[in-house]
Amino acid sequence: MPAVATRRLAGHGLAVGLLPQWEGRLYQRTVGATAGAAPNAAGWAGEASHPILHLANFALPAARGDYGTGAVERMGPAHIFIALLEFGPDCLGTALYAPRGLPRPTPGEFNPNGMQRRVAGQAGFQHFCTVADRPFCLYAVIGSHRDAVRLTRSVNEILDQIEVS
Amino acid sequence: MTALLVVETVIVAVLCVLVAGLLRGYASVLRRLHQLDGGALPNAGPPPFRTVPAIPEPAAGQRIEGRDEWAEAHDIEGISLRGEIVSVRTVGVEHDTVLAFLSASCEGCAGFWHELAADWVTPTGSRLLVVTRSAAEESPSVLSQLCPPQADLVMSSQAWADYAVPGSPYVVVTDGRTGRVKGEGSGTSFSQVGGLIRQSIEDGRHPAMKPDADRRRERDIDRLLLSAGIGPNDPSLYADRDER
Repeated sequence: MPAVATRRLAGHGLAVGLLPQWEGRLYQRTVGATAGAAPNAAGWAGEASHPILHLANFALPAARGDYGTGAVERMGPAHIFIALLEFGPDCLGTALYAPRGLPRPTPGEFNPNGMQRRVAGQAGFQHFCTVADRPFCLYAVIGSHRDAVRLTRSVNEILDQIEVS
Repeated sequence: MTALLVVETVIVAVLCVLVAGLLRGYASVLRRLHQLDGGALPNAGPPPFRTVPAIPEPAAGQRIEGRDEWAEAHDIEGISLRGEIVSVRTVGVEHDTVLAFLSASCEGCAGFWHELAADWVTPTGSRLLVVTRSAAEESPSVLSQLCPPQADLVMSSQAWADYAVPGSPYVVVTDGRTGRVKGEGSGTSFSQVGGLIRQSIEDGRHPAMKPDADRRRERDIDRLLLSAGIGPNDPSLYADRDER
């Protein structure tokens, strides 16, 4: 029986039904903010910020990088971290973002070398795509590469809950 | 040669059928012995709860696990000081959550803010979440000065209502596995509250204490008997075995 979302997180044109055990945070960094006033950072001159959605089936720490630095180090083997990051409109139409719709990764697509920074036992997946005419990067980390089949199923269950408008 | 192969194949096939039949018969005997031994049928659930004759059934819907007396915990939804839209799980998770209901304007909260800045360490296996009222009822700018960036703070008046917080400072500890509040109260600092939490955990594990499961079982049985109108020394507790 498919899991049923028990909470809903929505904002910045993104929405997600949170399945049991999953929590999420949705934010857009304030450009030019001082260090510490936004998750992981102050940004850089001329930076334009865009919405970022973080999902996890474990306790997300307050201080995290956009790609989960500070969070993935706390993951256990049964845990999953997902980041959906929007990019600027200048990316639209480029080859990198050509795929349409959020992907549904397969276990074989999770790779220990696919991590932003390699963590023992974990595996990552990164995919660029366009959804609702908005360019995104999906980055997912599973806590155990050995358990990729089961964890990938959970990843895809939560991806099914994401709506982009 | 071909005839020999055919004969061999037939013999092997007959032997396979015989072995399968023997195994099936053996499984049937084992299953039957298990039933005769008082075992349940495969996939059968636990036997229905029932009381002996003359003992009234407990009220419908009454839980056996003894946790009804603890208030329900609630997941937290709100906004962080960085403007994040936050949904935090406190129910159905592996860890406990220490919810510190604080305010920027409360004098009694000073000790808590001070220790947050000093990186107070939560008891093992628990997560700390500072919860203030929503931005409309708080001063986010003052909170930003009081709350260190590494601390997890969510502004949510709904959480204050859900947990019926009487005022600040107030600390609630939720049990993620049962989805219940396991302790709550006020204090002067995280150290004091944390000390009480650790003491409670260590007391529970102390060899001088009865195992948790035993205490819970005793409490459950007492409550069920009392709710059925059966107190200490009630004659029905000493009914003859034959009457059962």
